[in-house]
Amino acid sequence: MKYLNYIWRNARRNPVRSLLTIASTSVCLFLMMILLSFFAINDEVTGSVGVYNRVCVLNANGFAGRIPIAFMNEIAQIDGVQAATPFSWFGGKYHDEILPFAQFAVDADTAFTIMNELTIAPDQLKAFQTNKNGCVIGRKLANERKLKIGDPMPLERDLYPVDLDLTIQGIYDGPANRDLRMCLFHWGYLDELLKRVGATGSASEAHLSGNAGMVFIKCKSANIMPAICKAVDDRFRNSDYPTRTQTEEAFGKMFAEMLGDLKGMIRVIGMAVVFSLLCVAGNSMAMSMRERTTEVAVLKAIGFGKRLVLTLVLTEAVLVATIGGAIGSLGCKALCEVVDLSRYSAGFLPFYYIPWPIALEGLAVALLIGFVSGLFPALRAANSSVVDGLRKVI
Amino acid sequence: MTHNSASIELKGVDKEYRRDEFTIPVLVNLDLAVAEGEFLALMGPSGSGKTTLLNLIAGLDRATRGEVNVHGQDLGRLSDALITRWRADNVGFIFQTYNLIPVLTAFENVELPLLLTHLSKRARRENVATALRIVGLAGREHHYPRQLSGGQEQRVAIARAIVTDPYLLVADEPTGDLDRATAGEILELLEQLNREFQKTIVMVTHDPLAAQRASRILHLDKGQLVGDVTQEGRISAAS
Repeated sequence: MKYLNYIWRNARRNPVRSLLTIASTSVCLFLMMILLSFFAINDEVTGSVGVYNRVCVLNANGFAGRIPIAFMNEIAQIDGVQAATPFSWFGGKYHDEILPFAQFAVDADTAFTIMNELTIAPDQLKAFQTNKNGCVIGRKLANERKLKIGDPMPLERDLYPVDLDLTIQGIYDGPANRDLRMCLFHWGYLDELLKRVGATGSASEAHLSGNAGMVFIKCKSANIMPAICKAVDDRFRNSDYPTRTQTEEAFGKMFAEMLGDLKGMIRVIGMAVVFSLLCVAGNSMAMSMRERTTEVAVLKAIGFGKRLVLTLVLTEAVLVATIGGAIGSLGCKALCEVVDLSRYSAGFLPFYYIPWPIALEGLAVALLIGFVSGLFPALRAANSSVVDGLRKVI
Repeated sequence: MTHNSASIELKGVDKEYRRDEFTIPVLVNLDLAVAEGEFLALMGPSGSGKTTLLNLIAGLDRATRGEVNVHGQDLGRLSDALITRWRADNVGFIFQTYNLIPVLTAFENVELPLLLTHLSKRARRENVATALRIVGLAGREHHYPRQLSGGQEQRVAIARAIVTDPYLLVADEPTGDLDRATAGEILELLEQLNREFQKTIVMVTHDPLAAQRASRILHLDKGQLVGDVTQEGRISAAS
């Protein structure tokens, strides 16, 4: 403890250099925190849906294919299925904003039975169910855009060749780890518009109606989910539209895998960043120690032992890196508590925060950078010859 | 001043440096005895071995051959860790360019050697205050080296050298960077430390006037003692 003053003064000896080292460490760790948390949160969301007993039916060709709506009735008849809804991504523009939030066409009668973790006032649900062009939106979306019941929700064409003229009938809420920025509207309303376009439009547009992007099923219990997945796929195996049915959890993982080995790539980039930080911090520390060759010799002359010199230099390097790490990782965590980055993920992430393990991992990386970057200069200082260090002086 | 029996004793000391494939002899078969409480000046041309001799006496370097005994301790027998500890307990260093730590105040610079002891913070504070008072710098504790004149910086360095109350003070050209008047003050201070506190002082200097302050002057040339002048002007042949 009695050496802390000396260490702290040395760390501040060249403020510009120390600040640049701290800044490079903190900025790099800040970005790493954002990237690593993205995957951590995605894993968390995927892992959390297992309790809802839901399965997703996709075309065997994935998102490129469609599920005929006629399959819905057949799926609903399968033993163990509590409810089913089409779930079609609309992806429309809102006041010229592209991908502003997630928009899904659903069966208004079953959607909130299937997504029963979401809550909505009964009168609002009733209004939604009875108004063909009605929609419900999540609480976060309503708060952020100051939307209220009765407000128009116009969604302009982008993926589909139709514009939706929706009116907000209800605002749903739910757990913090669910997407509270969705806009849910009637699949029937979308289909009706698509039929009109199909009657007058091109051949490809004629095939847009009567389909769902996927079907979302609520099962009566968890242990029958594998059997239901198999039953659905078996039933449509020989149809023109074979299906691929999987649990919601597996679907989430598949969705993440569609990004490729991005996680691995981020890890590799992270290691490269750590290496470059090591070089920056190591160079800074080496320069600092080179400038202090005589001082180190003086310390050793007056009785500072090798181990003490080693500890002092290492602690100084670790201190500088830790300050950078704390600003980068803990600062990033604090910032994400204040600014909700999930609003910029177009519904891909329902929420965003830096999990403590990731923040602490960042801090640990900073400590490691400090230790490793300081080790060589510290060993050099500890083992340097007093006589050589004082040569110009004594 | 009363001089006791030899407390620094060098017997048959050789010191060689290796530079690549060359061996460079710096001190050759050197014998020396310095009494306790003596103020010794080492003089000689550049490369004569003055600094090397000072380093050997202060335990900063080791003899290639021969024996170096200081205050009853054979320095050649001490490990690196022990000799470091020995220096902390027994030797105070005064350098030509002061070598204060620029980021520490005068107080903190003087306190540095005390951090190695088990003294309490309060005891350290008292010792530092005493050392600064002895060198005439009471009231300048909170000044950084850059806020002090050269003479004041050297006084801080002397305070740092004496704060642990070492047996031996070694000084290399302590007035080399100072003007004549300030140099006189520093030399007076060294004399005072020798006279009033019985510190044994070994000082390297090029300045004959500075050397005259010492009780004994040794002349080195090519690694050998070539002259030994006492305060009274007696000249003896170097052994």
